[in-house]
Amino acid sequence: MIDTIAYGLTIGGILYIISIGLSLTFGTMRIVNFAHALVYTVGAYVLVASLSLFNGHFIAASVVAVLAVIPLAYLIERYVIRRLYGESIDYAIIATYAVLLIGVDAIKWIWGAIPIPLSDPVGKAWNILGVELPLYRIIIIALSICVFFILELFFKYTIVGKIVVAGLEDKEAVRSLGIKVDRYFSLVFVIGSCLAALGGVLYAPITTVHPYMGFQVLLLCFAVVLVGGLGSMRGTFLSAFALGMVMAVTGRFWGPAAETMVFVVMAIVLIFKPIEV
Amino acid sequence: MRNNFLEIVRKVDILFIGCAFLLLAPVLTVQRTNDFIIFCIFVLAYNLLYGFMGRLSFGHMLYFGVGAYASALTAEHLSANPFAAIAVALVAGAGTGILLGPITVRTTGACFALINLAFNQVGYFLALIALAKWTGGEDGMAAFFDNIWIFDLGNRYVVFGFSLLCLLLVVYIMKRLTSSSFGILLRTIKENETRAKFLGYNTFRYKLAAFVISTTLSAFAGALSIINYTYVTPSFIDTTRNVEVIFASLIGGSASIYGSLVGGISYMIISNYLPKYIQRWEMFLGVALLLLVFRFRSGLWGYISETVEKYALKGARE
Repeated sequence: MIDTIAYGLTIGGILYIISIGLSLTFGTMRIVNFAHALVYTVGAYVLVASLSLFNGHFIAASVVAVLAVIPLAYLIERYVIRRLYGESIDYAIIATYAVLLIGVDAIKWIWGAIPIPLSDPVGKAWNILGVELPLYRIIIIALSICVFFILELFFKYTIVGKIVVAGLEDKEAVRSLGIKVDRYFSLVFVIGSCLAALGGVLYAPITTVHPYMGFQVLLLCFAVVLVGGLGSMRGTFLSAFALGMVMAVTGRFWGPAAETMVFVVMAIVLIFKPIEV
Repeated sequence: MRNNFLEIVRKVDILFIGCAFLLLAPVLTVQRTNDFIIFCIFVLAYNLLYGFMGRLSFGHMLYFGVGAYASALTAEHLSANPFAAIAVALVAGAGTGILLGPITVRTTGACFALINLAFNQVGYFLALIALAKWTGGEDGMAAFFDNIWIFDLGNRYVVFGFSLLCLLLVVYIMKRLTSSSFGILLRTIKENETRAKFLGYNTFRYKLAAFVISTTLSAFAGALSIINYTYVTPSFIDTTRNVEVIFASLIGGSASIYGSLVGGISYMIISNYLPKYIQRWEMFLGVALLLLVFRFRSGLWGYISETVEKYALKGARE
């Protein structure tokens, strides 16, 4: 029982960290960004590469992994996404999917297609009410909650955050105040991408690292974003944990159905609350 | 003069398409041309939604797979008659469309794409794991069909002729559909749905009809591919293969029947022959997609017809 809840919260936390970027990109730029999965995968692979560089020092390696995706995110934003502003959403989907294809193939070229397993970087376990819980998972849950509060403060109290929130509401109005909204949006895009890489880094020790790991998670994150409401930060937070719990509970009864159940829930939510895009 | 000529060509275009595929067969081998024909049917079905109605589905493999599994299961459990299998596949495709349509067609844009993707994922899971007892799971299942009358399905030439007839039939249906008032209304929905509603049309009904037609024809293509391959695996319903049909409709030019055919053939040529020469084939596909999105929105057929028109105008001026 407790380990099911803990598992659900872990998955929810990771889904939340990855989904923020998707949700923000959608809210600010009206673009469905398949390339997000690429950033996530690259984060995990850079972690693997830098782990051997730092003699297995996990924190240093993960910082490198998160920072390493900044130039990649900038390139994607500058040369693909910025050219698709205000265009039909179909072209954005296809173009970012193309970026994902190119990137995944490049990863296969560099690192090969064989899955790479990673060991738990903490290794200790806590005993809560008679259940052994890996400390690493508890750290993930705590970290995702930290990210949530940091983002809340960021959007509430910093001027950059305020501009972005205002831009989400009405882009033209902010622009008419003489603020270059697009520049702030690309900053948000880079932050979202860094968080996606962080998600990849955190999730890597729980699963294996392989070139197609992004596809799977991306679908789940789309479900999170659609259920939570596009561009809504708190909605994303809640729906990530809710869907994480759905996965954990379903997985307890019938393992392979866990991910499919998320889509069933999403379909049900969309029936009652269709989103006009 | 030239315009008259083009009009005559357009009237007998089904003959031309038939001849083109007959000519392709000796070049590419009959088996491969079969693949091409079936894929073209799928692209046509897809384009009714994407090209004409402007709804990008990212999960159309589901409807293809439903047809494929329906016909294979019919052959296994009900009757080995290939026509019965096709009929069951059509019913299954239409049924899936009617079941999922009311949910999907209410959404637009990204939501439509993703909700189809989600349903496709569910279907893939059902075929791969949940219903593995019947579908054979990852190994798939074989489907054996009886020979009915002159339809000796062991004979590749017979299968070829049959698929070609089916393709021509689908082209004919699509031509009638898209030039009818129904087709015009679909294009109106693509351009501006609010305006169509304002004119008093119940757009939901038309969208649903188009969706169901598209799923039915996709299932038809799936059933034909089972007759061609005589086995079915989860790759027939795999979500990652959706990009194939999207790429094909982009490459050909989406809002046109000829464009769909050109796109289908070009995609199949690329995917059949390119991996032999280029190892990093996904990367090539990605770059080609980017180029199409940024440079050649109207696709190959759009480019050709624009060029022809330009020259025709020049000729008229002289």
